[in-house]
Amino acid sequence: MKKARDSRTRRAGKMTPHPGHGPGHCLNILKQLSAYIDDELPSEICEELRRHLGACPNCEVFIASLRDTVTLCRHRPTPALSASDRAALRLNIIRASKSGSRR
Amino acid sequence: MPRRTANTPPDDSQGPDGFDKLYRDHVDLLYRYAHRLCGEVEAAKDLVQETFLNAYRGFRGFRGDAQVSTWLYTIASRACMRMRRKRKGEPERELSLDEFVPTSEGEFRLQIPMEGLTPEEAFENKELREALDQAIQKLPKKYRMTLVLRDMEGLSAKEVGAIIGASERAVKSRLHRARLFVRRELSARGITQPGHGSETPSMRGSLT
Repeated sequence: MKKARDSRTRRAGKMTPHPGHGPGHCLNILKQLSAYIDDELPSEICEELRRHLGACPNCEVFIASLRDTVTLCRHRPTPALSASDRAALRLNIIRASKSGSRR
Repeated sequence: MPRRTANTPPDDSQGPDGFDKLYRDHVDLLYRYAHRLCGEVEAAKDLVQETFLNAYRGFRGFRGDAQVSTWLYTIASRACMRMRRKRKGEPERELSLDEFVPTSEGEFRLQIPMEGLTPEEAFENKELREALDQAIQKLPKKYRMTLVLRDMEGLSAKEVGAIIGASERAVKSRLHRARLFVRRELSARGITQPGHGSETPSMRGSLT
């Protein structure tokens, strides 16, 4: 994985636009990147996309950054409730349900 | 009466024991979801409280067709929509794919500073952590909900659709736009990996 990233960075350093990169073409590629990352595309479209990505450093770097974004979202830790907060919240809910009011 | 399945909460959810079980089994899950949606502690607690109150009151209408967690996610998502509306009253912004099409080579090159790092190592970078949290909070709420449920809570597109009341196709479309939005926010910040020197010119201000 590190090797792939290093190669990506090296390529990004001397990138030139791929001839297939008209606005319409870009939009078509761009539309499918999440489905590609999530492995939801039919194999023939996947293959076509892979061919394009292999030939186009711009799109290759773009999809790598989108993949990084998804990875970060999937691994973002969130704080947990403390035991005292959990107990206090439970009491609030019980009180509110008895009184019929909301905090 | 709710149809009894393995997914159905205890019959006497209106009673203290039933509520305690529902609360004990799901409070951590709901708080995590609420915190991801709201981005801060007090609002997350408010949302958890609102969700359990609504669940408590609406239990008789729960048919047991879904898992309890899905049912609670649904209640929390609706409550969040209402809370946000009360607070801001801003119209929902739609995200268009066109706005994410890079128009220059520099925009294509923008990268997230996690080269060669595990996500845990990347999150040691405080700037990156904050940028991610801010990007998620900047998302219009229906996109934020979709991203949080799918990429952070790990639910399937079908489950997310059931929770937010959208088709699977709409979920995938919103998720894609939300990811593109967050990617742009993160990469356009010009955050550098600690110890990797200053940002490259291409990472600076190419996207606004």
